[in-house]
Amino acid sequence: MSLSNLIKNWSSLRVKRPYEGQYKDKDYKWAMVIDLDACTGCNACTTACYAENNLPVVGKEAFSKGQAMHWIRIERYWGEGDALPKFPERGAQFLPMLCQQCESAPCEVVCPVGATHHTPDGLNSQVYNRCIGSRYCSANCPYKVRYFNWWQYPERAWPNPLEQQLNPDVTVRSKGVMEKCTFCVQRLVEAKNRARTEGRKVEDGEVTTACAQACPTSAITFGNLADSKSQVAKMWERQQIDLAKDKQEKSDENMRGYRIFEDLRTYPSIVYMERIRDLQA
Amino acid sequence: MSSNKIDRRDFLRVLGISGAAATLAGCGNTSIESGAELVESYVQPEDFVVPGVGVYYASTCTQCGSGCGIMGRVREGRILKLEGNPKSAISGGKICGLGQAGVQMHYNPDRLTKPMLREGDGLKVVSWDKAMGVLNARLGSKSTLSGQQIAFLTGEISGHQKVLLANFLESFGSTNHVVYDALSPVVGHGANKAVYGVEQPVLQIDKARLILSFGNDFLGTGPSPVRMAAQYARFRKAPRGTLIQIEPRMTLTGANADRWYAIRPGTEGVLALGLAHSLLQHPEFAHSIPQELAAALKPYDKETVAEITGINADAIPHMASLLWEKSPSLVISGPSAEGHVHGFSNATAIHLLNLILDNRGKTLQGQANHPFPQLSPAFGSYTALAQLNQAMSAGKCEALLIMGCNPAFTAPTFVPFANNMGKVPFKVAFTTQLDETSRQCDLVLPILSPLEDFGTHVAGYQPAGVELMIQQPLMEKLYPETRGIGDILIDLLKQRKPDAYKAFPDYYAYLKTAVVKAKPVFKVKESDDDFWEDALRNGVLRLDLPPAPIDARVAAIKVSAPQATEMGMQYPFYFVPSVKADLRDGRHANLPWLQESPDPMTSVAWDSWVEIHPTTATQMQIREGDILEVQSATGSVRAKAYLFPGIQPDTVSMPVGQGHTGYGRYADGIGANPFKILDPNFDEQTGELAMYSTRVIIKKTGENAKMIKDEGPTTLQQGRKLVVTMAADQAELAKEITRVTQ
Repeated sequence: MSLSNLIKNWSSLRVKRPYEGQYKDKDYKWAMVIDLDACTGCNACTTACYAENNLPVVGKEAFSKGQAMHWIRIERYWGEGDALPKFPERGAQFLPMLCQQCESAPCEVVCPVGATHHTPDGLNSQVYNRCIGSRYCSANCPYKVRYFNWWQYPERAWPNPLEQQLNPDVTVRSKGVMEKCTFCVQRLVEAKNRARTEGRKVEDGEVTTACAQACPTSAITFGNLADSKSQVAKMWERQQIDLAKDKQEKSDENMRGYRIFEDLRTYPSIVYMERIRDLQA
Repeated sequence: MSSNKIDRRDFLRVLGISGAAATLAGCGNTSIESGAELVESYVQPEDFVVPGVGVYYASTCTQCGSGCGIMGRVREGRILKLEGNPKSAISGGKICGLGQAGVQMHYNPDRLTKPMLREGDGLKVVSWDKAMGVLNARLGSKSTLSGQQIAFLTGEISGHQKVLLANFLESFGSTNHVVYDALSPVVGHGANKAVYGVEQPVLQIDKARLILSFGNDFLGTGPSPVRMAAQYARFRKAPRGTLIQIEPRMTLTGANADRWYAIRPGTEGVLALGLAHSLLQHPEFAHSIPQELAAALKPYDKETVAEITGINADAIPHMASLLWEKSPSLVISGPSAEGHVHGFSNATAIHLLNLILDNRGKTLQGQANHPFPQLSPAFGSYTALAQLNQAMSAGKCEALLIMGCNPAFTAPTFVPFANNMGKVPFKVAFTTQLDETSRQCDLVLPILSPLEDFGTHVAGYQPAGVELMIQQPLMEKLYPETRGIGDILIDLLKQRKPDAYKAFPDYYAYLKTAVVKAKPVFKVKESDDDFWEDALRNGVLRLDLPPAPIDARVAAIKVSAPQATEMGMQYPFYFVPSVKADLRDGRHANLPWLQESPDPMTSVAWDSWVEIHPTTATQMQIREGDILEVQSATGSVRAKAYLFPGIQPDTVSMPVGQGHTGYGRYADGIGANPFKILDPNFDEQTGELAMYSTRVIIKKTGENAKMIKDEGPTTLQQGRKLVVTMAADQAELAKEITRVTQ
């Protein structure tokens, strides 16, 4: 975004986002639903992400320092409050955590160089060759889903011939750059290009993320929220989640959808569905 | 000798399918776009390779024995990523983390690229001509070995590889195909066979309203985790089923239970009989079993059972009433219930519940009887290895061929397999990478990775009908001096039985002929070539067959008076090894993605650890990261303590699979190997190693180290509403929109 463009379109760029109907007439707004009652915590999604997005294996030492580069990780909790139960009688609480592609992303506003910004299809994108590694975005992310390249991983993470597995559609990031989940933007771009060439829009189910594709229990649903007929849009609607609201007014309390840290007004693009437990058992 | 007769162009020609046929969007009208001018690439790509376009080919995953259909994404002749093949009912288009990591086995930087021959203490690289010369001299046409003198040791193996291997042994008049699996399913299979008349009934998880699982980790390490996870997803949709898991140490499946009970290891059978006793109080079930059996259950009142198992007495009638209410149910036993001296009886006691509840034919069915049983897998067992070990020790084994297992790493200390290898004059390993066992061999032959080779697989667990899975190369071989195991066997067979095999120039020809021969079974009207091409394109040959009935053999269930296990003074803790869904018995510890994939229960990566209950740890003043010595009567290992609430307080647990010493850069020097402290206890019925019956003492070493784990400073949500839980009676699943359908 050039400075002249910024000055010229100042008033439209100053609009508070998101607003009702923001994506109504748009072609795409990518969004997700994750059913925590279906998620078993098996890690198929995380490995699929490594394969698709050229995530480096950082090794034992870097991992122990918290430098793992897993764009999607499975968090595991033992209790909702402050007390550890003697036994986890209701099982573990698994949470697949990835970039929530916030509509009002705390990471975007603090980037000194505009390396992280919002795309017209609602992604929170990271421009690697603008990034100077200030790491403000990571500090400001309440979900802690931004990962910094502390090392020159291309030199060590893929000893020959492992580098032959690298996905040519995805950049291999170098030292000093922040990275994060992109909703598999390379797949989205390919699908959008194909659709545009054929003079149509991307159809529901035509493209999905690597994590959703692998998930053995189909806990992850990915799609286009701007298309009211898409599975993901129908699920958002039935779960009574409004993208542009920070507090959902649900007429049906038994619908399981919720967004994490909604009260921080980040307006995430991922709806989680509550885990269910049969408390009679 | 190493000429690759299967030309890539040849098989690509028959496979031509294009998955994502993406066309780049135009950048405006140019003379090129309008067709007035043509662009010729400087580099002429191979047939069916369109630069920049990923093409998908079907094959079969060989990372475990489930036999999932996979689709490999190939670009510019390189395999990049594996996905599930929707045409296979086993994978249903899905894939697990272990399956994904198949590409790292293929591209592993520690792959063996050339044949190696023993020279003194070391292995030296030799040519294939030399290697095959040695092999033919020992096992070729002039070999006089027979019977027990030759042994072929493998892991679980199915399909035409298994057939060729048996044919090869047969040429020596031998049937000595020894199948070894450190995580053998044999006790469970034996108990199933005794009660149901079949080794592995099909579990209709999605049809059950209540699943009661005694340590069966069907979501993580079961016989078909991807298939069962999909069924589990349907089980959890309206009307939502309830899962109760009973085990000494929480498995991935236990972590997903509605109710999880920590049980004293080895007492699962007692609890099952207590539940049976309680169920018989309901008038509906009172006459479901013979009177004398019912009478034998008398001593299993809830107080006695509670005292033995450590499970609250009131929980027993409660569970029984749930079983009574939620029909059909499904009761399953798993390794932690079966890996005991009385493991077999534990399992049969658990199966008794299914008979009382009449789940037969509803949630438990027999696998379809299919027309190619000879392709079904041979399951591995401990006893097979122990017998071979004995023969080796007595000097009866003259030639040992090894593929797909690593007994030097997984065999317990009291089976000194590695030492006894020294008594075998000729040992050959067929492997993609050197491991602890192949390093001791005299000849090591580098074989093609599963992504470079042809093959067929028939999974031992066939969830619906039967699937003959086709494995085909997803790319040209990485290293010119590697060969397929099938080609090596065909070469040897041509020496042994020239007449029978002269018609097959190579393994590909053999396999194609063999598969095409099965065509009448599939009742298709197409030419042989079309049939073969379709098989390759689909990756699976499916036969829809009805499930077979299973028996109910109540007589197989023996009930004796309940006996409490003694709490040994010298070794006060039960030792429960745990199996990670990705590393399994350690054969995948060489894959960096899996090493870096945190354990779902503890979030630990790149390490071994000792799980200990927080209350026990507090009593013993053990903190996280304290290095503990876990000592059994057999041996001891060291690892860091991890405080884990999902474990019975008198139990400690360690994951198997780590502690390698000769398996490449990603595996070596990581963690410790608990296989080496297992006590020599055996299931009294099958003679299998009772893996979960070892007793240990915990010693603090005074050292402490940082835990290598992914979780943050707390394991609690602290009111942050990260994972919100809804009570099942509140949820309205029927109103929800879902992708998973019944």
